[in-house]
Amino acid sequence: MTISEMNFFQRMIYIVQEYAPSLAKGAATTMAIAIICTLLGCVIGFAVGLVQTAEPHKKSGIVKRGILKAVKLILTAYVEIFRGTPMMLQAAFIYYGTAQVFGINLGMWSAAIIIVSINTGAYMAETVRGGILSIDPGQREGARAIGMSHFQTMMLVILPQSLRNIMPQIGNNLIINIKDTCVLSIIGTVELFFTFRSISGALYTYFEAATVTMIIYFILTFACSRLLRWIEGRMDGPANFDLATGDTLAFTSGLTRYNEKTGGTF
Amino acid sequence: MEEILKIEHLEKSFGSNEVLRDIDFSVNKGDVISIIGSSGSGKSTLLRCINMLEEASGGRILYHGQNILDGSVDEDQYRTKVGMVFQSFNLFNNFNVLKNCTVGQTHVLKRSKEEANANAMEFLKKVGMDQYINAKPRQLSGGQKQRVAIARALAMSPEVLLFDEPTSALDPEMVGEVLDVMKDLAKSGMTMLVVTHEMAFARDISTRVVFMADGKIEEEGSPQQIFHNPVSERTKDFLSRFMENS
Repeated sequence: MTISEMNFFQRMIYIVQEYAPSLAKGAATTMAIAIICTLLGCVIGFAVGLVQTAEPHKKSGIVKRGILKAVKLILTAYVEIFRGTPMMLQAAFIYYGTAQVFGINLGMWSAAIIIVSINTGAYMAETVRGGILSIDPGQREGARAIGMSHFQTMMLVILPQSLRNIMPQIGNNLIINIKDTCVLSIIGTVELFFTFRSISGALYTYFEAATVTMIIYFILTFACSRLLRWIEGRMDGPANFDLATGDTLAFTSGLTRYNEKTGGTF
Repeated sequence: MEEILKIEHLEKSFGSNEVLRDIDFSVNKGDVISIIGSSGSGKSTLLRCINMLEEASGGRILYHGQNILDGSVDEDQYRTKVGMVFQSFNLFNNFNVLKNCTVGQTHVLKRSKEEANANAMEFLKKVGMDQYINAKPRQLSGGQKQRVAIARALAMSPEVLLFDEPTSALDPEMVGEVLDVMKDLAKSGMTMLVVTHEMAFARDISTRVVFMADGKIEEEGSPQQIFHNPVSERTKDFLSRFMENS
């Protein structure tokens, strides 16, 4: 039976059977780029968001204030430019630009990771800024009142809470990245969308190939969104807590004993 | 008596709004000073200036003779010596009760984890919250949160504790449990500066009462004097309104 004699379902099965390794490789590349770039984007976003929300110290001089202001201006420009232009063009700009101007030939992987991370970072910067602003100012005051420095306050109290609050948005970004890696096909990255184009080009079965690829994309994004929900639940910790007591008789009533050494309960 | 804090001609204004005007008073070791007065009289701002959460606009705050406002004293080190308990508790929501009481000790005072835990447990026991070490703040009632907040402040071994209306955000039935902890603290010789609307506490527990009105200290003296023989008309007026209600 040739491909032209098959019906819709037979063609889909044929594609899966023939191209399973390519599809799997494409999906793996897509996932790898999406996950790595979302994580790197978070790091960039946290760094930029931290600087954007930093207030100059009361006693710092005009030079320090000036530097902070200049850095903030550069970062704002970065955020606005990368949020405000299509990632597909950014990919072409960076990939061909580095080759033409600096003579550097970025490999497929490094180009892909740089482009998507920088793009995600620009969105994450605003998300992190929002996350930091969402934390009750009392948390900062509580931390400063026991002598924590600005840095300690941020690292120990504010950022962990911000991270929890922006988890849904990080999930959003991951899912957007899974889908948006498809624009990297413009610079020849062999990811899932590139695989789709190869298959449809070889077989002239656009409808069937698109259906198969869409199903794979959906499985990837849906699995990720469930996984992130689970992580959020883990971050919240249990809804209940155990009472701790040094009274050994209380064991019978279901209480746990305080562990003098480790500070937790047994 | 050893003088810990001395406040001289302290001023604070937000824009053109003068909140504190020419505040003068001192805190000696073992003092329990209640600051009373109607809302908006500058009581909380005074406390926040002493803790450097607000920047004073003028005057001096001397800590053991050293002016903390001229930048010669390390702000963070100073704050470990002058603890603060807030109206809204401000417990760290991402930590459980025990970690709330140890994180400052381990990261600011660089105490070992064991020492910090033992120390935190001692104070949590004192405020009756030692059973709740595994609970997160959101799982506690207001009174319980405030008692943990007091333990957290005490665990830093401060010289003075500032209380900014510690019972104002609590349900009436929880006010008692927090006041009991504060009474025990006062009896144990802790130096305390308490902004409060609890007149019974001010009258019975404090060694000195400061009455503030319009950003100034209107009258200062022993509880006996303020509550039974107030000199100023405004003090009389304020107290009579309060006593009618209770």
